[in-house]
Amino acid sequence: MISRKKFDFALLALMGALITLGCVAIYTASTTVISEHVSTQNFWWKQIVFAGFAFAVIALILKLPMPIFDILILPAFLANILLLILVLFTPPVNGAHRWFSVGGINIQPSESAKLLTILMVARYISKENLSDYRRMAYGFGILIVPVLLIMIEPDFGTTLVFWVALLAMFIAADIPLFYILLIISPIISVVASLHWLGLLLWMAILVFLLMRAHLSWVAITVSAIVNIFIAMIMPVFWMSLKSYQQNRIMTFLDPTRDPLGAGYQIIQSKIAIGSGALSGKGWLQGTQKNMNFLPEHHTDFIFSVVGEEFGFLGSFLLLVLFFAFFARLIRDVGKLKVPERKVATSGIMAYLMFQTFINIGMNIGLVPATGIPLPFISYGGSNLLVNTVSVAVVLKFLNERGFMK
Amino acid sequence: MTKAQRVFFYVSIALFGILLISLFQLQVIQGEHYQRVAESNFVRIRRLTATRGEIYDQKYRPIVQNIPAHNLYLTASTIQDLPALTRFLELHFEFSPQELDNAILRHRFRSYEEILLVDNVAFEKMLSVSEYLSHFPELSFRVDSTRKYHYSNHFTGYVGRINEREYEQHRDEDYSINSYIGKTGLERYYEVLLRGKDGREIVQVDARGRSLGLFKEGGYQDPLHGLSLVLTIDNDLQDFAMRVFPDGIKGAIVVSDVRTGGILAYVSKPEYDPNLFMRRISPEIWEGLNNPNKPMLDRVIHATYPPGSVFKPITVGLGLQKDIVQRDTRLSSCTGGFQVGNRWFRCWDHDGHGRTNAVEALMVSCDVYYYDLSLSLPLDEFKAYTLESHLAVKTGIDLPNERNGFFPDTQWYRQTFGQNISIQGHKVNLSIGQGEILSSPIQLNAYYAAIANDGVWIQPHLLKQTVGRGILTRDEVDKVERRRLPFSNEDLRTIQDGLYAVCNAPKGTARSVQVPGATSFGKTGSAENSMGSMTHAWFCGYIVTDKPEIAVTVFMENAGGGGSMAAPVARQIFDYYMGNIEDIRRPAPVPAQFRPEQPLPQEDTPEEISEAEESMEEIIPEEDEQEL
Repeated sequence: MISRKKFDFALLALMGALITLGCVAIYTASTTVISEHVSTQNFWWKQIVFAGFAFAVIALILKLPMPIFDILILPAFLANILLLILVLFTPPVNGAHRWFSVGGINIQPSESAKLLTILMVARYISKENLSDYRRMAYGFGILIVPVLLIMIEPDFGTTLVFWVALLAMFIAADIPLFYILLIISPIISVVASLHWLGLLLWMAILVFLLMRAHLSWVAITVSAIVNIFIAMIMPVFWMSLKSYQQNRIMTFLDPTRDPLGAGYQIIQSKIAIGSGALSGKGWLQGTQKNMNFLPEHHTDFIFSVVGEEFGFLGSFLLLVLFFAFFARLIRDVGKLKVPERKVATSGIMAYLMFQTFINIGMNIGLVPATGIPLPFISYGGSNLLVNTVSVAVVLKFLNERGFMK
Repeated sequence: MTKAQRVFFYVSIALFGILLISLFQLQVIQGEHYQRVAESNFVRIRRLTATRGEIYDQKYRPIVQNIPAHNLYLTASTIQDLPALTRFLELHFEFSPQELDNAILRHRFRSYEEILLVDNVAFEKMLSVSEYLSHFPELSFRVDSTRKYHYSNHFTGYVGRINEREYEQHRDEDYSINSYIGKTGLERYYEVLLRGKDGREIVQVDARGRSLGLFKEGGYQDPLHGLSLVLTIDNDLQDFAMRVFPDGIKGAIVVSDVRTGGILAYVSKPEYDPNLFMRRISPEIWEGLNNPNKPMLDRVIHATYPPGSVFKPITVGLGLQKDIVQRDTRLSSCTGGFQVGNRWFRCWDHDGHGRTNAVEALMVSCDVYYYDLSLSLPLDEFKAYTLESHLAVKTGIDLPNERNGFFPDTQWYRQTFGQNISIQGHKVNLSIGQGEILSSPIQLNAYYAAIANDGVWIQPHLLKQTVGRGILTRDEVDKVERRRLPFSNEDLRTIQDGLYAVCNAPKGTARSVQVPGATSFGKTGSAENSMGSMTHAWFCGYIVTDKPEIAVTVFMENAGGGGSMAAPVARQIFDYYMGNIEDIRRPAPVPAQFRPEQPLPQEDTPEEISEAEESMEEIIPEEDEQEL
């Protein structure tokens, strides 16, 4: 079944290592020590059960014959769209219609929509004999359906993931870079303007890439100036707003966020991570964690616990592990020769990496708080399942690739 | 590597590079700084407790007010020496080790929050223990507020600390583990109005929990204070009714305004002091509250009794409505009793009343008239009519846990006594308010008020309006139900004449109830019951000047005859009312301090917020801005 030559055992191992570290982190995150009282909530073994289930699903997907897998994507996507419509009619939780609540388990159809949309877009933009414009139009056309539905929920943060994945797929589909760059550069400039370092890096990348695209110097200069202008004007514009106006915009982006809570959580998370210093406070010893300043530090803010208890060395190790995982995924993109699968793998890689970056960035106060969990590490069954299934799809593509190599 | 791979690779290096640099800056370069912050300074959200609304009588005289109280708080995460703390609390506050363990364990996932350990610590106690507090940085005293109940009563109820069940039940309503919640009475019924909405502020505090000022980027939400309640109760009349009720007797008095349905006095005896619940209740006090006299029982709405003869207007009302009798129809002659089948039903008067009509039967309370009449009344119609008259069914008064009472029907008798039961005999009993029927004093009061009010039944209620943040009338809070009872004008007049005769005719059973300046109407009742050998004494009645005034219900458990025991109390209340009618009736304008400062609903206008922000910035030390 599994081909030794083709199967990417390293990728699977890296994912397994991340999930294992996740369970360890969840264990310490949900343990509270007061004086001699030590109490642990049962999230960690629940997560182990979820992980076991997820691995069973991986095995199932690997066994599924490829033709059946291919046929299933379209109906699954349509069913998912239907669920995204139906979820709008559920009673709102914190002002948003995001979850189906079935027997105590919350099902969020926008999670599975990420993977299925990627697979759908990959299929249609990889068709042969399509002009670049057509491919871009198809990509937008398919993506816009789930994105609009999720924006109605409303859940602005999740839709960002879709755009990033689309971008990666355009790149993998060999759509000329400068098209993509010119479309998205202002958005990235706005985001990058949150931190001077990010802006500097982004400008360097932008100019470098535009040069590589063999554009004229005039075009490069103009687009660079436009971008710098946008990036510069953003903070000025943002600072000129009164704090309640800023709050309104932030609340528009994510209505579930608590106007008092968001700033507070980031402060607490930064204090926790910063106080971990070089080597951390040690296993179960996080003082900020034990004070429970952060209400849900086994989910979105789990990185703060890692940072506090294992210090810079621990967080560095985790980053290295993540980087190795993504480097492996990027390597695998090159191994796949069927365009559809190559594009899909790129999309999956991009969506996982984006979530990783946003979550850790949020924990260290680099990006505003959005409800995006850390892949493989944060507690949560459905999120873990969708992430592992995405990797399983990549593993399946690799395992079933042709005999060229 | 393909072109795409290269792009992906560079981007991922850039992203992870940004993360790594930021982490290095945060943990290695600024690590020591954050370690200091974590050790000594905490940023936390502090709840700004909204002031609970107070309760006033109809003249804005206080019934329930907030007074300052010293509360002892514990921050579990800063406990240094648990055994010492346990001993300290046990010695000075009778706080058992198990209780402390529970408090810590229950809140272990919010251990930085302050837990309210002991509320309402006596001032002397606080002074005597405060010297030890330096050994226990986890303990702190704070001045909050507690409730003062100006007099013993059963309608205000009391507040208490929220318990786990209530906390779960109201999980989405922003209660904290330290919140107070209305447990009974008006405090519970109008919890939503009284409570208001807590505010929030983000503060930076030191290790002792002392505030170092407001955090700059944090928000600030003003608490919205609760609405105060103005009741229909008149404190003077309430006080008089409390005093006029004979000592050593259990029972209830309800005085209501016939034209509005508002309750002017609400007495249940024996009474208890709600202030007892504002402190830890000692076992002796608890025992006192649970003695056989049941002082906690609200006999106005939480207890139901056989109404006896005060029920008779219902029986005759149905007879008149169904045209079984007319005003002047005389029924079987009373010879001290009445034969139904093989049973002899006695009249209360062994000498007999002869043949009576509707008015006379009410006047002398002749049982035989009703026995005879009941033979023609189908039981289930009888029940429907009783419920339609709002007896043996909740009135919907604005207090929690009102009891329905009971009126049996055919099905109930068959289920209880078997299919072959003869209902006739039970019906004869029901016709004079005896047997299985149970009703509460408030239901009878509302019924008699409706007779006084030309047949319009008004839902009895205690709330007149709210004051404070907004003025809402009772109808705006919740519409008071008004319904016409099933009386024709002629039938109503007949019953009213009967009730007039009770108080004014030479042979009436309540001749003592005569009030200068007003015409009195009423009905006595002496209800046999299973609770004791003495009858329950009832009097229900009302007085009319140029318009109907007040309805009074007096009920005394196992106290004897209604005419001898209950009616004199009612007369004193009528007298008091007529003597002070100017005072009681004078409309009271809303005093200036109770007018809302700004109209409801409160709108956050941008100007207000920016002003608040400016003032906030002034008190923030500058270094805080750089640190975090």
